[in-house]
Amino acid sequence: MAQIEQSSGDGKKKKGAQKKMAIHVDFTPMVDMNMLLITFFMLCTTMIKSQTLSIALPTNEKLEQTELQKAKESEAITMILDTEYDDNGNVKGNTVYYYTGKPQVEYNGNQITTSNLEVTEFLGNEGAAQRGIRKILHDRNKGVLADVEKKKQEWRDKKITEEQFQEAAKKIRNSDQYDRPVVIIKPMPGASWESVISALDEMQINQISRYQLGTLTDVDEAMVGDYKIRNKKR
Amino acid sequence: MGKVKIKRKSTLIDMTAMSDVTVLLLTFFMLTSTFLQKEPVTVITPSSVSEIKVPTSNVAQVLVSPKGNVFMSLLGDADAENAETWGSEPLRREVLKNAAADYEAKTGKKTGLTPMDIEKFAKNASFGVPLDKMHEFLMLETAKQDEFLGQTVDKPVIMGNLKPKDVGIPFKDIVYTDKEGHQLTTNEFQIWMRAIYNSSNENIREAIQKGEGIAIKSDQGTKYETIHQVLDNLQTIKMNKFSVMTALKTEAD
Repeated sequence: MAQIEQSSGDGKKKKGAQKKMAIHVDFTPMVDMNMLLITFFMLCTTMIKSQTLSIALPTNEKLEQTELQKAKESEAITMILDTEYDDNGNVKGNTVYYYTGKPQVEYNGNQITTSNLEVTEFLGNEGAAQRGIRKILHDRNKGVLADVEKKKQEWRDKKITEEQFQEAAKKIRNSDQYDRPVVIIKPMPGASWESVISALDEMQINQISRYQLGTLTDVDEAMVGDYKIRNKKR
Repeated sequence: MGKVKIKRKSTLIDMTAMSDVTVLLLTFFMLTSTFLQKEPVTVITPSSVSEIKVPTSNVAQVLVSPKGNVFMSLLGDADAENAETWGSEPLRREVLKNAAADYEAKTGKKTGLTPMDIEKFAKNASFGVPLDKMHEFLMLETAKQDEFLGQTVDKPVIMGNLKPKDVGIPFKDIVYTDKEGHQLTTNEFQIWMRAIYNSSNENIREAIQKGEGIAIKSDQGTKYETIHQVLDNLQTIKMNKFSVMTALKTEAD
């Protein structure tokens, strides 16, 4: 394992000269052991730390109704989330139904003829352009987004520090001088968790400070059911 | 004919450089990684743009499996100074004692937990069986416990009185009468959450109030109605600020 080699002096040893010794230590077992340890660490650990998203829900006491009425009709957007599953129970696609203001339904006695329900999807960005629900929310919250972007630019140019930016952004998000939307997210019982998180995520992306998770009303359910029926016929 | 002499060369390879590299790699892995926590079910969390990191101390993690089974894991204070009083193990011990006492007072049933069970419970990272079956569950070996919690519909595992329906913290209503004679309803999940909130660890209470103390983890394909029962119960006990565990989304935005 470890050898001490005498330097080959070809027998011409000088008297009094010190013996020169080369020491070889075999590192192979050391490498073996290290490799084993690395394998162990690679298999038993994670490098990615999960992120968290904080949520505040209203209490279960009957405050919700009054709270909802406070929101101006022109500001309110209701998002109804639904998910389709394939036969194996895997998520096939998330759908977002939405309407602004109050639900407007015309009912002729046996079916809904018109409603203000519209449908879109979580599509994210394509280049710099927003698509799907993000575009709708973006357009509704333009004032806030523009001003936050201005502050962000100042931060990028190193005119203000990150803390100052965060504080300014928070102020802009909660300021009443803009025309800000109030978003009510209503997941259907079958909506996937992913779609709920995506919806909450859109709030962050679009700097919307007023949103809440709500429960589905009968009218909402009827509108979605009707939409599905009408879409099948087409 | 002169014999051809084959010169023997030494086959020793210098492994020093190799060893250096492996030690460096090892150091890198040791410093950058965190250990995987043992979980009864593996879930893929949905992704979000949020960049807040998951706290590693003073957090009660609620894991909701796609089937709707709820498991919990508890982490106490990471500060070594507080380890004796507020660390993970003392916290778990106290929470189990409080939850069991609360359960016994409200249902009149005995849990039959022994001091040894409590010690075993304190060592476990996550739990999720009804309180009246806790004693039997803790008597099992660790491998058997994992097998029981990780069972699937196709391969049900029955161990004594532990049936497949006993996986997860139950949400069955417990009706009891309080001191003033009011009829009230609660369930085991609420008992656990209250026991955690009312433990002597003030840091976890503060964390829960701030919304950092409760982390909900669930698979991205889980239906909302499944998670809604957890959210609804949290709302009922007025713990309406909490966080949701997500993975980082990579996006150009």
